[in-house]
Amino acid sequence: MKELDLKIEDMSEPILTRAEQRIEEALLYALVGTQSHNDEIEIPSFPVAVMMVAATADTLMKRRYALSEAKRVYNLLNEEKSKDKILKIANAFNWKIRSVNNKPPYEFTLSFMDYLKNATRLQAKEWKLVNRVVVDGEVYLTKDDTVRLLEEEVRAHIEKKLDVKEKFALPENVAERVERLKQLSVRQRGKIQFEEFPKGVVISAFPPCIKQMYDGITSGHHLSHIGRFALTSFLINIGMTTEDVINLYRSLSDFNERLTRYQVEHIAGGRGSRTRYIPPRCDTLRTHGVCTGMDEICKGVRHPLAYYRRKLRTIKTKVPVERAQK
Amino acid sequence: MTETKMFVRNKFSEYYQKHSSSIQPPTQIEKREFGFLVFKERIMIRHKGFKNVDDLTKFLKTLVPSDVYYSSAYYEKPEEEMEEKGWLGADLVFDIDADHIPTPCAKIHDTWVCNNCGTIGKGVLPEKCPACGEQRFDEKTWPCEICLESAKVETMKLTDILTRDFGFSPKEMSVSFSGHRGYHLHVENGEIKALDSMARKEIVDYILGIGLEASFHGLEERGERKLRVLVGPSLDDSGWKGRIARGTYEFLLTATSEELEKIGLKRKVVDTLTQHKETILESWKDKGPWGVVKDVGVESWRRMAQRGAEMQSAKIDTVVTTDVHRLIRLTNTLHGKTGLKKIEVPITGIERFDPLKSAIAFKEGTVTVLVFDAPKFRLGDQTYGPYKNRQVELPTAAALLLLCKGMAEVKEEN
Repeated sequence: MKELDLKIEDMSEPILTRAEQRIEEALLYALVGTQSHNDEIEIPSFPVAVMMVAATADTLMKRRYALSEAKRVYNLLNEEKSKDKILKIANAFNWKIRSVNNKPPYEFTLSFMDYLKNATRLQAKEWKLVNRVVVDGEVYLTKDDTVRLLEEEVRAHIEKKLDVKEKFALPENVAERVERLKQLSVRQRGKIQFEEFPKGVVISAFPPCIKQMYDGITSGHHLSHIGRFALTSFLINIGMTTEDVINLYRSLSDFNERLTRYQVEHIAGGRGSRTRYIPPRCDTLRTHGVCTGMDEICKGVRHPLAYYRRKLRTIKTKVPVERAQK
Repeated sequence: MTETKMFVRNKFSEYYQKHSSSIQPPTQIEKREFGFLVFKERIMIRHKGFKNVDDLTKFLKTLVPSDVYYSSAYYEKPEEEMEEKGWLGADLVFDIDADHIPTPCAKIHDTWVCNNCGTIGKGVLPEKCPACGEQRFDEKTWPCEICLESAKVETMKLTDILTRDFGFSPKEMSVSFSGHRGYHLHVENGEIKALDSMARKEIVDYILGIGLEASFHGLEERGERKLRVLVGPSLDDSGWKGRIARGTYEFLLTATSEELEKIGLKRKVVDTLTQHKETILESWKDKGPWGVVKDVGVESWRRMAQRGAEMQSAKIDTVVTTDVHRLIRLTNTLHGKTGLKKIEVPITGIERFDPLKSAIAFKEGTVTVLVFDAPKFRLGDQTYGPYKNRQVELPTAAALLLLCKGMAEVKEEN
């Protein structure tokens, strides 16, 4: 809003309505679709919507809105026949991009740094750098690849804009709309929220990698640094107490209570940064050789905690459940 | 401190008194964290910062550390605790260590002692102690020539990937011998600094070929039913495409029947491949072997390509590169395990680089030592040993190597 020198107080009702509609569509359908044909409404409605979402201080809504607007950009650019518009937008984000003409199916090259900045959030195998044609610091891309990466860039860009810490006052008519959106978000969230992990630790729901490390440690076997981190953060996140985790390491020959306590509490978020760590993703565990090979459930998940959640569901239907000792 | 330890420390002190001018500070020294291992307690002093190289060398002369490290990262306040440092970016670093490479010497020069029952063995560290099942050992490794040569080959593969695929210029890269069992490669450039750990992990996977699938590099079946043909990459393709082709070529050139079976090929396929070896090798001049032999399907070729890719990857340490707070040994300082110095290697001419000559820090005098047990080894142009419970007079560098390795004790300096 500042960049465009706009004041929220000066916004007409149609602009506010269109802004609210953008957010509503994001919440309901995860996509911003219908478009006002009046540029005087459409253009300012975006920064107004950004401001409204920022004002909700609702992380889920922020993420969802950014994603939906980015999807819209993807759809618009995908229909685009000429490469110029894509280049123009890419340049606006300072991408080092080049158009290529004689290497079908590739239409662009992008510096590997710009590529990685956006592609590391995409999980499919085809996005791994190792599965790409990389020459002289440039990654070869099809038009669709390029547009998909731009979507990521736009998403990150909007998320950053939404990430404002200071509070700001809104005129009453805007505040009312923000309040309405908040309520809509709460209702929507009720539908998609994960169930909390049940109390108690269900060992038979551990993914293979964690199970092996857990068995190893209880019989006094040494673990790599990354292994310890993955195991500890996993156990903390599924609800094991720090005390129980520390006890687990007691059987190791080099056990040092003070050091272990410090490290476990650090991972649990009780020290220093106060953030609780979550275990690394499967992908990362694979890089560092912690993954022991995948079973059927592994193939459908990307994170050890997701495995645990999914396996729990299948176990729950087959009671009784064995529990780890307290 | 034992007399031997005192002796080594005195020698290190001498080195830092005489050669402090050779110490090259990292770029933006004031933004780096430094760490030092000290002789007495073998503990790490961390979170040190220096405004300039003079302050650093003064500190080295007083402390006389056994090992000197600096952060690959740049910080606003390097002396603060980790969370308060203010991370500004980090160089991209790679570590290649003989420990991670299967070598033809099979590490027979390395010994291990079980932490639990004291069983002693030679060669590659076992997963479990054969006597008691314990998994923790004390290790004594040795910078053997074969190990160092393998590490050098991996380093050359790494520079090749970084230059051709990632487009780094030799100016942005520096390679050094660590002074022990491996090589470090440092990339410094304005843009690379900002890469987060996730992006660095992708670079690691690229270099190691982790997650690589040959189908994304042109190995596929094309066409319908009877007209179906198998196609694949060629030797002169760029990026992983060409590497897969070259790796597959190399593998098929040398692979024995057992090796072919080991990667999961069926008996019949192995026989066919062996029978048609000549045809297959000839085919590289044209479109490659992919569709040449009947009865060898896409899945078999995929396995061979995978094995070939493995041979083309450079065996880097995954943790060092992804850690954006890593401490790295400083060039031209001494390695506490060998008394050799970490030294820069010219990128062009790395083939001719001799680490066991160039890294020698002490070139004068001799020392008489009592050697408990040492393998045959070379340093500079001379070969020494093997020794067992023998008193010998050795040039200072050779004596220090054995003393630092705990394989000898000092008798007298000549």
